[in-house]
Amino acid sequence: MAYSRQKIFNVIMFFIMSILSVVFLAPLFIVLMNSFKGNLFIADAPFVFPSKETFVSFNNYLNGLSKTGFIKSFGWSLFITVFSVLVIIIGTSMTAWYITRIKNKLTKFLYYLFAFSMIVPFQMVMFPMSKMANILNLDNPVGIIVIYLGFGAGLSVFTFSGFIKSIPADIEESALLDGCKPLQTFFMVVFPILKPTAISVAILNAMWIWNDYLLPYLVIGSKYRTIPIAIQYLKGGYGSIDMGAMMAMLVLAIVPIVIFYLVCQKYIIKGVIEGAVKF
Amino acid sequence: MKKILAFVLIATLAFPMAACATSSGTMEIYFLNFKPEIAEVYDKIAADYEKETGVKVRVVTAASGTYETTLKSEIAKKDAPTIFQINGPVGFQEWKDYCADLKNTKLYSYLSDKSLAITEGDGVYGIPYVVEGYGIIYNNAIMEKYFALSDKAVNISSAEEIRNFETLKAVVEDMTAKKDVLGIEGVFASTSLNQGEQWRWQTHLANLPFYYEFKENKNYDNTVLAGLAANEIEFKYANNFKNIFDLYIENSCTPKNLLGSKSVNDSMAEFALGKVAMVQNGNWAWSQIAGTEGNVVKAEDIKFLPIYIGMPGEENQGLCIGTENYFAINSKVSKENQEASIAFLEWLFSSEKGKSYVKNELGFIAPFNTFEENEKPTDPLAKEVLAWMEKDGVTSVAWTFAAFPSEEFKNYFGDALLEYTQGSKTWDDVVNVVKDSWKSEKAK
Amino acid sequence: MQKSLAKHFPLFVAPTLIAFLISFLIPFVMGVYLSFTEFTTVVDAKWVGIDNYVKAFTANTDFINALWFTVKFAVVSVVSINFFAFITAVILTRGIRGTNFFRTVFFMPNLIGGIVLGYIWQIIINGYLYKYQVTLTYDAKYGFWGLVILMNWQLIGYMMVIYIAGIQNIPNDLIDAAKVDGAGPLQIIRHIIIPSVMPAITICLFLTLTNSFRLFDQNLALTNGAPARKTAMLALDIYNTFYGRNNWEGVGQAKAVIFFVLVATIAYLQLKLTRSKEVEG
Repeated sequence: MAYSRQKIFNVIMFFIMSILSVVFLAPLFIVLMNSFKGNLFIADAPFVFPSKETFVSFNNYLNGLSKTGFIKSFGWSLFITVFSVLVIIIGTSMTAWYITRIKNKLTKFLYYLFAFSMIVPFQMVMFPMSKMANILNLDNPVGIIVIYLGFGAGLSVFTFSGFIKSIPADIEESALLDGCKPLQTFFMVVFPILKPTAISVAILNAMWIWNDYLLPYLVIGSKYRTIPIAIQYLKGGYGSIDMGAMMAMLVLAIVPIVIFYLVCQKYIIKGVIEGAVKF
Repeated sequence: MKKILAFVLIATLAFPMAACATSSGTMEIYFLNFKPEIAEVYDKIAADYEKETGVKVRVVTAASGTYETTLKSEIAKKDAPTIFQINGPVGFQEWKDYCADLKNTKLYSYLSDKSLAITEGDGVYGIPYVVEGYGIIYNNAIMEKYFALSDKAVNISSAEEIRNFETLKAVVEDMTAKKDVLGIEGVFASTSLNQGEQWRWQTHLANLPFYYEFKENKNYDNTVLAGLAANEIEFKYANNFKNIFDLYIENSCTPKNLLGSKSVNDSMAEFALGKVAMVQNGNWAWSQIAGTEGNVVKAEDIKFLPIYIGMPGEENQGLCIGTENYFAINSKVSKENQEASIAFLEWLFSSEKGKSYVKNELGFIAPFNTFEENEKPTDPLAKEVLAWMEKDGVTSVAWTFAAFPSEEFKNYFGDALLEYTQGSKTWDDVVNVVKDSWKSEKAK
Repeated sequence: MQKSLAKHFPLFVAPTLIAFLISFLIPFVMGVYLSFTEFTTVVDAKWVGIDNYVKAFTANTDFINALWFTVKFAVVSVVSINFFAFITAVILTRGIRGTNFFRTVFFMPNLIGGIVLGYIWQIIINGYLYKYQVTLTYDAKYGFWGLVILMNWQLIGYMMVIYIAGIQNIPNDLIDAAKVDGAGPLQIIRHIIIPSVMPAITICLFLTLTNSFRLFDQNLALTNGAPARKTAMLALDIYNTFYGRNNWEGVGQAKAVIFFVLVATIAYLQLKLTRSKEVEG
């Protein structure tokens, strides 16, 4: 009796979840659909499938690409995200190892400082930070990596520390006693163990940096545009950009991240869980 | 996985290498442009200038409605704009610490009417680079169709005979009633009230009631000065503003409640595609009309009507003519960059190549004596502006909105208009908002 | 270990610490200092005491409106997101068909950036409202619910994943024992599942709470505060105060400090509250 009740329940749930899935995917599909419609037929009827009259094939994409320099933006987003994440992973893992293994007042203070920074809203520091970046010549795609390291440090150091705390220090100690230099010990002993956490941290940071708008806008916005900045510029109302091109650019903004997600899904989900559990 | 990673790394490294290779030279002119309609033309100009002189010109165009914000954050940086714009005496007060004195430049000497420049003491800080006019742009082909109707409700037979608000209202409302016959979706294009798109109403349309209010102040002989001296306003002609604004929103192709999402771009497209007969805007909008895909409006059918608001004697009122666009040179950048920037502007307004851009592609009526009679722009709207400026017995309305206390004032006004349009504010509320925010913004 | 590792502070910690100093710590301290001054560029700061703080609340009602709007938004979002995420997590831990696929789908919106999200939903909501001949700007309520829907769409999947992990960690014996004792599904949820996933609840509440309060990109894209700033949340209001007008930088910084204190306090209280309810083992 209980078995078939369970089965019915499961079937019902399956249907509900399926409908929900369609609802969840609908917005993305709507944008995709509208990217193939002519400019004037979008705003008033976004839910209508392209018809013979309204279909414009890839015109919106070509138009949008040529007018917005999207490809350049894609390049900048990619460059900044990849290198910032690399720098963050290496820098913060090393820092986390140090402040977890060396227990003194300073390292304890640093740990809490890093944790604290996770709560501070960006608006609190945005103005002085953009000034500092400008003064120190960091307001370019290479300099912004330093800014991201500083900003990403909080969450990353915190997460790495949490994980390192749970690793017994014996192997490292014996390596050091055997005469290995600390740097060697770190990369040959500790980092391999950290790999899963490192991947999680990398993914969380990558997602944040790829989608970030305000920080790059304030620091490098007028000279270099990342994808979020390029999209915002479109809506700002340049004489000739239209809804059709906007839809096409939105699709292009979403596609890379969706591909990334489908490929690395396992790691991403794991990263989310790890980030949460270690809290 | 590792191979993919390596490939991605190498590919992304190549990027900054390429970027670094293209940037060169220490002297750079950075022009922060205010007009999105002609952003692309400036890119061409910059390319030509670099070819001719080897000096790089970086043009960044602020998105519609974001000039102040963009200038604010850019000017604080190390490579701040070297050329920027101020909108008049009020803008100058905000940015005076950054405006270089231009009285000894050739550019200043080119001005045909030196009184147009922004001055303080004996220094010259802002040079106007374009004279513009706005009014109600109309498509005469549709108007002629209307006047040919046998059951039209008015006695006149052409748009040129509309010389006051009463007549305008009668024509517009009759056209609305007959819109199906005329083949249009509405008489006026959308009254765009989206964020950043409200300037046609809180600035341009608002110009009229305030022009008349300040004209009555006999202590000053121009309305801008009178406005600047006013700490409070009566908004005496608020009802006149309401009459024309209501006419716009009640006779448009878009229902009132949808206007909050419309942009100026949308309105110009509606006009260009023949969906509507009239749109309030200025001669700078020609490129938007001509550039709309599927444009059906013919150059010879495009004309201007003054914006009548029901004032006595308005049969002699012309278009609103003036300028809000002054170039300023950043006094905080190096002398070298300042001089290079001035040289660029001088090239633009005096060399053959520069002048041809100004006349043909930028469409500016430039107030400089370096332009001959035949070097004025030839687009239909510019020609109409010039025609109205020179019409006998007609007085142009000076751009009085240069005296508005601040951008915030205009924003409050525009926001109130949106709420009024959507029915959540009464007209009296709007009047109060306008009067209160004038007072509080002036007090700052 | 202390001896051989300790002296390598510069190598291991310095780079991160210096970047941290430059982009966070120094700006933070500067920010606090500047909130008590009037300034345009940083070097011309003039001390004005608590003037900015007073002005933030009295010069106009923007800040207070933003405050109320943000609080209401946060409450509604936190409750709805966690509710839906929890239920979905419970359903997706029953081993029904397609669980992995559903999990993939529900999580996906989280990857999309705020600006892009805002514009996608703006088009959809305006398209829907077109039937009623209005737009998002017609009423602040539309903007409010638009943001709530957007937030839910974006975060339900994320929180659901965390809840799933939490639920999967519950030892089966506990549940089996309860079933043997005759407990129904709802009772199991109340007395066994919820206390055991308290850590997950803690973190999910923390994330949804702080994300809701600090929302900026989506706000900027979806409504940009329209109509008349009524849908501007705290972060957007602070941004407009800084960059939207001249001579208000000090007030903007003061607002930012208040914002920070608010977020920190709420986060701290929430963590303390839920941490005390966590069950060990």
